[in-house]
Amino acid sequence: MAKRLLQGNEAMLLGAVQAGAGYFAGYPISPSSEILMAASAHAATHPEFRFLQAEDEIASANAIIGASLAGAKSFTATSGPGFSLMQEAIGYAHKLRVPTVFIDVQRVGPATGMPTMPGQGDILQTRYGSSGDYTSIVFYPSSVAECYEYTIRAFNCAEESRSPVVVLSDAFLAHLNEVVDVDAIEVPVVPRTLEPLASGSTRLFSGVATYPDGEPATADADEYIRQYELAKATRLEVAERYAFYEYGWNVDAETLVIAFGITRRIAQPLAPHFALFRPIRIWPVLQDQLRAIAPRYRRLVVIEGSDGQYASVVERVLYRDVHRVPLLGGRMSLEAVREGLDRAGLLPPELAEAAV
Amino acid sequence: MSYKDKIKTDLFPTIWCPGCGIGLIMTQLAMVMDDLGLDKTNTVIVTGIGCTGRMGAYMQFDSVYALHGRTLPVAEAIATVRPELNVIVASGDGDIASIGGNHLLHAIRRNPRITVLCNNNEIYGLTGGQTGPTTPIGTKTISSPAGATFSPINLQGLVNTNPNAFYAKTTVYHQGQMRKAIKEAIEWPGFAFVDIASQCIENNGRRIGFPSANEMLNFYKKEYRQAPPGSTQLANRQLGTVRGRPAGAEPASVGAGAGKGSGEA
Repeated sequence: MAKRLLQGNEAMLLGAVQAGAGYFAGYPISPSSEILMAASAHAATHPEFRFLQAEDEIASANAIIGASLAGAKSFTATSGPGFSLMQEAIGYAHKLRVPTVFIDVQRVGPATGMPTMPGQGDILQTRYGSSGDYTSIVFYPSSVAECYEYTIRAFNCAEESRSPVVVLSDAFLAHLNEVVDVDAIEVPVVPRTLEPLASGSTRLFSGVATYPDGEPATADADEYIRQYELAKATRLEVAERYAFYEYGWNVDAETLVIAFGITRRIAQPLAPHFALFRPIRIWPVLQDQLRAIAPRYRRLVVIEGSDGQYASVVERVLYRDVHRVPLLGGRMSLEAVREGLDRAGLLPPELAEAAV
Repeated sequence: MSYKDKIKTDLFPTIWCPGCGIGLIMTQLAMVMDDLGLDKTNTVIVTGIGCTGRMGAYMQFDSVYALHGRTLPVAEAIATVRPELNVIVASGDGDIASIGGNHLLHAIRRNPRITVLCNNNEIYGLTGGQTGPTTPIGTKTISSPAGATFSPINLQGLVNTNPNAFYAKTTVYHQGQMRKAIKEAIEWPGFAFVDIASQCIENNGRRIGFPSANEMLNFYKKEYRQAPPGSTQLANRQLGTVRGRPAGAEPASVGAGAGKGSGEA
């Protein structure tokens, strides 16, 4: 296929299909609805691809878990409020070790918030949204081409890690149109890793803590810790192979900008004046990379569409204060970035003058 | 083969209390499975949270022990991806009609080929005996010491909003009738719901005046009656089946036999 104009949301559906997805369930919610609609259109012409517009996001999340157990690579797409409703099911998928992909197209929250405005306020929700301890793997592309690429990688990673993998997007990226040649993006596809239901086994896929024979292990700390450590080790080991990030711009600058998703694109005109670290794998946090790169810079600044969610993670990893440029209320623009940097005293004089 | 081969008897005794009705349901299900040739290569069990949820763990099948209330989305997706499979849901009344109520409404509407066995003990047994969605009005429970305030949910009426769905009412006392209802439900080419009155002696029955499970079974024997042949709706404490028309068998506006409130225009 030649180059074509493609929207971020459409690219994610194409990536899922390329990765071998056979089942989508979802509920309409801006700004993710184009993924649901594209999935429905795809199902209409590809009977092997199953589609459900479910009654809510809770059903959607549980349906994709059932579909994956039954043998289909499966995914859903939603936005903040729906993603909140899916959290229990995400924990369940972690417990069951079921490969699934959850796309979260972020808008401004909390609650119904600002449904069509871009935000990045689900960073911590993707890590800690469900109850209990679990190890999340989350990717955040920052172009339409990457929406395609990292959706495929998310499916691959879900199979390898046997866990629900999240792909973050935002209202801006979701509706961004860019020229992409998806055929030029070659990502090998990982085949299914889970034996489908009714293959002759008598397995119990239980959200309740159980022993391997299915008996309850609801008061056995040793068994809990054994299973938890095993799942954590598997996820961390697999995530190592997906440690994607970008490091560049003016690497000799004194200040390192940390930005991801659409924010990195917005900040592009700052490239001559700052170094850039862009995590693509948001979780597990790219601790080793941050610890290797950050000491080269006098100042660090996290520019993000939340009030310091990722900044707080960077501080924890580096044991060091970072400057924050929060882009709130959907005001995700170069102007807002400049203002934020100026407030933090980080705007180079030549840029400050240019802005006047 | 024997029905006992469908059950993991090595895990016995079960966690269910002495006198619980769930084991009777599991036994009848296993017998029907044996009759119909259901095995681990053609059947999947999905169970919800509550005492009934343990049923899948005791059966020789791949089984999904779903989140509280979420059996139906899981089961429907399995049936969608693998239409050749028999998908059997075992769930309590609280799981399927309260926390899972929205999924129940929409599963009925979409009419997937799944079989639901609802262990309807009119109580939240596992959590100690709180009022549930099917608890009769006035019943004293640990969360309704002055008597349950609201009327129970009308499961038959809900199921019959889809003229293609199947509803049967039975009790754990009426074993033969229960077996027949489960068999017919599994063979039904759409959504089939078997509403099984079942005793919870420990966390309900004793508190409302039954000395033992035996008296609860005798209560079912005494109080429940077969519905007259040809009934299109079951009255309270009537046993029987309300069959819709299998989807696609006839135009939706023609024919009889669907229950009241079949949704026909």
